[in-house]
Amino acid sequence: MRPDPNNDDLLNRFLLGDAEESDLSRLAARAAEDTDLASRIADELSFSEMLRQVLVADSDGFTDRFEGALESSRLSREELFFRVREGGASPFESDQVAKLLWDSPDAAREFRRQLAEDEWIREALSESRGAGAFIESLETRMWAETDRDRFVDDFARRLENQLAPDFAAEPTKGKIVRFPGGWTQTVLQVGAVAAVISIGAFVAAQLVASRVTDRSAPASVVKSSPDANWSEGAAPDRDGFIRSGLYQLNRGVVSMRLSSGSELTVEGPAVFEVGEDSSTFVHEGIALARVSASDPGITLRSKGLRVSEPASLIGIDARVDGATEAIVFSGDGGICLTEGGKCRELTRFEAVKADHFHEKLVDVPYKPHAFANAWALLSGVENNFGTVKIEMPGSDLSSERGAEGQVQVFVENESFRPKADLEVDRVEVGEFSVAEANPGQQLQAKGDLRSYLLQLWPSDQEGGEEVETSLTFDHPVVGVIFSSGRLVSSDSSVGSANSADGKAYNTGQGMDSGNDEILLSQDRRTLNLRFKGDGSEVGQVRVLVALN
Amino acid sequence: MNSSDRELFVDQVRQHHAGLRGFVRALGVDPMWVDDVAQEAFIVAYNRLEEFDQGRDFGAWLRGIARNLVINERRKDARRKRIISDNLTEVLISSSSASEEEDDEMGDQALARLNALKECIKGLPEKSLKLLKSRYEDDNSAQFIAEEFSMNPPAVRKALERLRSGLRDCMEEKINLATAH
Repeated sequence: MRPDPNNDDLLNRFLLGDAEESDLSRLAARAAEDTDLASRIADELSFSEMLRQVLVADSDGFTDRFEGALESSRLSREELFFRVREGGASPFESDQVAKLLWDSPDAAREFRRQLAEDEWIREALSESRGAGAFIESLETRMWAETDRDRFVDDFARRLENQLAPDFAAEPTKGKIVRFPGGWTQTVLQVGAVAAVISIGAFVAAQLVASRVTDRSAPASVVKSSPDANWSEGAAPDRDGFIRSGLYQLNRGVVSMRLSSGSELTVEGPAVFEVGEDSSTFVHEGIALARVSASDPGITLRSKGLRVSEPASLIGIDARVDGATEAIVFSGDGGICLTEGGKCRELTRFEAVKADHFHEKLVDVPYKPHAFANAWALLSGVENNFGTVKIEMPGSDLSSERGAEGQVQVFVENESFRPKADLEVDRVEVGEFSVAEANPGQQLQAKGDLRSYLLQLWPSDQEGGEEVETSLTFDHPVVGVIFSSGRLVSSDSSVGSANSADGKAYNTGQGMDSGNDEILLSQDRRTLNLRFKGDGSEVGQVRVLVALN
Repeated sequence: MNSSDRELFVDQVRQHHAGLRGFVRALGVDPMWVDDVAQEAFIVAYNRLEEFDQGRDFGAWLRGIARNLVINERRKDARRKRIISDNLTEVLISSSSASEEEDDEMGDQALARLNALKECIKGLPEKSLKLLKSRYEDDNSAQFIAEEFSMNPPAVRKALERLRSGLRDCMEEKINLATAH
């Protein structure tokens, strides 16, 4: 039997927050009979409060909070509720709402219902928060967090079932894939690992395009956003082929490969026409063309203008009547009026507007945001998990820090051929590994590459939150550089995303503290990163993909 | 666990995600973290699927898991919390004791409610839709929306409340109509 605790023990437990209910009852009973003990408890509590104020908040902070509280106290009940639901409530306001709800269970129930409805409205309004996106993100997370491949099998089978009618004659091939944790599983080659962890519609479209060929079609769909919707009678055929004719994309973003080798990405609502020779006329909507180096003869036209000299990345904004804008993101290009023959040479990050009424070309500022959705698809990076921002071409590394928990993706160099071997970090495919100092390996200088720079922003507080992300690339990852030294030494070879003011910000902020984790999938398409921060302001990773 | 179990589980995710996300938000989880917490609940459920009693309602089991996850949030370091406020979550958890009506709203009916809501939103005039999108899709504050739409913040709040109220009526009407048929 435990001995009865003395007053000192009880008081200590109480002050340290360790007292149980029975201790508190015992202490209260003794204090009721012992005025000295009661007085001592009062003194100790008073001193504890002083300590709390010194340690937790200074007097200025208290004044600020009090003024804030005074301001908030003028808000009506409805306004308080709105502020909490809006996400802009101060701690005082949240506590006020909590107090109101404690007093009224009906109000609490109604408030809970309002919060749930807010969530449903968000889901109903935004395709990116729909069931498909949620499940896909969950699939990825399950795979990453459980280190198991249960969903791999399941998802591959589902994907195969979906595609089965189109490819019934295609024999299925088995492939042994070894997953982290020593699991061995036979999965269908068509699904492979990438299919499991990337967006279903995205992958499905890619598979369609990669598994069938029809040389007579001037174009074929290679990627689609999950919400892509075509008008009946103005859509690609079942295999994703685009024959010559008029097409109407009601919503979503679709990327097409032209038979000439160039790539055209269109965002709906859009109407466009494709000719037998893969020439394209954009009647309405947003279009972004990535011109293949082997396709100098691409023909791209829109209302009132034509691309006379194709830049390697060029955008057309034909959303409004009376004017069409053209913008060059990469390379040099030329734009001409359809009527009158006036032309204008454009270099990178320049834009021009064709005024249909006055038949003239007008220089306009470079405003790339209208192309954000098209660029997100064309950039070749698919976000599976995490708060990811695909930066527009021309976005620079700046002195400003990114949002907490955000991952920025910069396409540093669309296409380049390294002049010499590149030193990259050693990453074992299909296995979780710690990003740390390593002997590295040589990436041979052959073939064309594209480089991406990822910036991961943890909280700026000490011991800030970790940042996690999972990205799928549409070309195989052949090199990953996460160590600070190699980031700096590879800057000049790959053409880093420099700051607009010419200064070097955040250079060489690698993830080599020994606490960060990296996983490159077996098929080299998906990169999972977990950056723990550990006091670093930002973590950077350079990803090199092979274009051919 | 065999493959038919897995198929069943994915079907359950499709069926229950909307209700679970609504339930998680209703416990005072920060909107930014709603999907994260809901996904975590699914992962816990997936890993403990063998413990699930087939005779029970899967949605209710999921909500129980989510509820425990949210309770645990209150014990976390302030910077790691995914809830708006400890006190608020405490009162919302306490008030969320099971009721049949609420079980229906967050459970079996949630998906139907979400689909009804999508239909109702389709019928909104353009300006109302823009207002709603600015608030719920772009996550703008009333202050910001007021500037965007040349209104004052109280008018924005009132307009949004009227919109919500109209959408709720429309949703209920569609649900009742579907139930009657």
